[in-house]
Amino acid sequence: MKLEIKNIQKSFGEKQVLTGISLSAEGGKAFGLLGRNGAGKTTTIRILMDVFPADSGEVFFDGSPIDYNKVQFGYLPEERGLYPKKKILDQLIYFAELKGLSRKAAVASVHYWLERLGMTEYRTKRLDTLSKGNQQKIQLITALAHDPQIVILDEPFSGLDPVNAKLLKDVVKEEIAKGKIVLFSSHQMSYIEEFCDSIAILNQGQIVLSGDLHTIKRNYPRNRLVVHSEQREKIKSVLGSECTVQENGTLMITLQSPDEKQGMMKMLTDKFDIDEIKVFEPSLNDIFVEYAGEQYKEATV
Amino acid sequence: MKQFAKILKFETKNYFANKVFLGVTLFLVATIMVVMFFPRITQSFQRDDAEQPAELPTMLVVNDTQQDNALIEESFTAAFEDYQVIFSNDRVEEVKAKIMSEQVECAFVLESLTSYTYYVNNLSMYDSNSLAADAVLQNIYQISSMIGGGMTPEQAQGILSVQIQHSTENLGKDQIQNFFYTYIMIFALYMVILLYGQMVATNVATEKSSRAMELLITSAKPVSMMFGKVISSCIAGLIQLVAIFGSALVCFNLNKDYWADNPMISSIFDMPVDLFVYMLIFFILGFFIYAFMYGAIGSTASKLEDINTSVMPITMLFVIAFCVVMFSMASGNVDTVLMKVCSFIPFTSPMAMFTRLAMSTVPIYEVVISIAILIGSVIGVGVISAKIYRVGVLLYGTTLKLSSILKAIKRA
Repeated sequence: MKLEIKNIQKSFGEKQVLTGISLSAEGGKAFGLLGRNGAGKTTTIRILMDVFPADSGEVFFDGSPIDYNKVQFGYLPEERGLYPKKKILDQLIYFAELKGLSRKAAVASVHYWLERLGMTEYRTKRLDTLSKGNQQKIQLITALAHDPQIVILDEPFSGLDPVNAKLLKDVVKEEIAKGKIVLFSSHQMSYIEEFCDSIAILNQGQIVLSGDLHTIKRNYPRNRLVVHSEQREKIKSVLGSECTVQENGTLMITLQSPDEKQGMMKMLTDKFDIDEIKVFEPSLNDIFVEYAGEQYKEATV
Repeated sequence: MKQFAKILKFETKNYFANKVFLGVTLFLVATIMVVMFFPRITQSFQRDDAEQPAELPTMLVVNDTQQDNALIEESFTAAFEDYQVIFSNDRVEEVKAKIMSEQVECAFVLESLTSYTYYVNNLSMYDSNSLAADAVLQNIYQISSMIGGGMTPEQAQGILSVQIQHSTENLGKDQIQNFFYTYIMIFALYMVILLYGQMVATNVATEKSSRAMELLITSAKPVSMMFGKVISSCIAGLIQLVAIFGSALVCFNLNKDYWADNPMISSIFDMPVDLFVYMLIFFILGFFIYAFMYGAIGSTASKLEDINTSVMPITMLFVIAFCVVMFSMASGNVDTVLMKVCSFIPFTSPMAMFTRLAMSTVPIYEVVISIAILIGSVIGVGVISAKIYRVGVLLYGTTLKLSSILKAIKRA
């Protein structure tokens, strides 16, 4: 399974919202769609799901233009909300039926998911009697009950306690293992880093960075070393300006060229008491701040 | 289509799961049943009282004319059957005192055959006693003048009470007979469209404000959603009407004998079948065209509070249509140019054309054209509403301007 978006353009009135968006996501892998608020993530998702058409560009599924009658989407919107005054079981079955399940299949699937997420006891309750986290779990069922090929989760972890977050992680991993395409949109970089093999960062309606997360990280110049040591003051006085103390108390040593790192590591371990030394790889958070921040936009203009 | 069926079922079930909806319907059915049984109930009470005839109010007549005592007494007694008529020679002060102390209800003091004073404690809005007295005295005056001119009393009486024979042959519709059920049907249409239109608008706006829309819009086609909502509300409205009018009809037939002397009520239940079919057609189409507009408006409101102001233009349009039809009905001429024009405009034709059909004679081609325009407009308005809905439900925040909605429709 492969989902591709090619050169999507979209404007609302005078405002250009998306400019030439192209993405590619594969089955059995999770894809992270990142960007600051208002960068165009939700618009991209809505075009992907055919809520409104793009001005130009196309969506492909397995190499041919997508047929929305055949490809099923599961969607957990960032703005959560179902029918607050209706019984949970009734509305879950309704949404599963809307997605094309027969009544019998819908009932079976909804019961399975209520059980899986530990929500069976709430099935006859009204939605608005549940806590926010539990409402979110109910909403998650609407995204998964009809067994869609493509699952889109917008900020799935916001508002969940650590136990529920763990439960959701397990569920997401199961869905990925089933070979589905899972699309994540989140500001919580640690989760994206944990799940997603590839990412795309949107800034002002443009993709400023996309690709395999591991490769992106490897492509950063490997000329920086992170050092854990009790003797950091001593090291700093020896190395001078190429060595800085980080907020978390580690040392960051910036070399002229990556080739020097072997020699530097050897020198440090020989001369000082070193707890840990490694080549610096930026976290997704660092990458995000670099590409989605204001500075990047100004730098490219 | 399958999706539409699911939505229709869900939305219709929502109406019948709504306790207020059920409560109001049951209350109305109960009320109408009580109304229809009312004559039977009152008659059964009256039967108990039959042995002791109800005491009639007393009327005092003081004859100061010094003439025709016998004729006056006979005439007044005959004219005021609902009163126990007493004749006396009391003075005016005594008469007033008797009325104030409620010994008598009212009194006539006749100064001459052509003038009198009517005394009553509280003059009711519907008091026609003085009119009756006018007629009685006029009659007596005419008879006595004729007798004075040399006629015998029998001759005079014969001239004054001559009966004119006449018959009416109605070749078209009887407006008097049709007036009441037309009135009731127009009023029912008006109430149902306003109430259910608001419900559709609120329903859409609620889904939008609870953000259930985010999910719905990605699960179902806007056209299915719009038509599902509108048709379900139409079904709910029709079922409510059928419950109310159906129970009225059943109860009327159970009590038919008791209503025999009430031509107005009897005429309502005596509606011809073809008119009933027309009513159904115009009712459903009229309902649709307004409900679609209400639904579209509902989708443009960001908050529930905005609904009331947003639906104003539609409500105004509808109220104007209602007023035009009601005034024409009241004037007795339903074939004015205005009514003819209105019976082809889709927003007014459900009421205007139905009224003309019920109270006048309309060529069949006009009816067909009117219905065809209406059906076309319902489909057109439905599709446009679905487009507005598709755009409207995802726009939050600022109240939408008409121009931005139109632009959005063009793009969609």
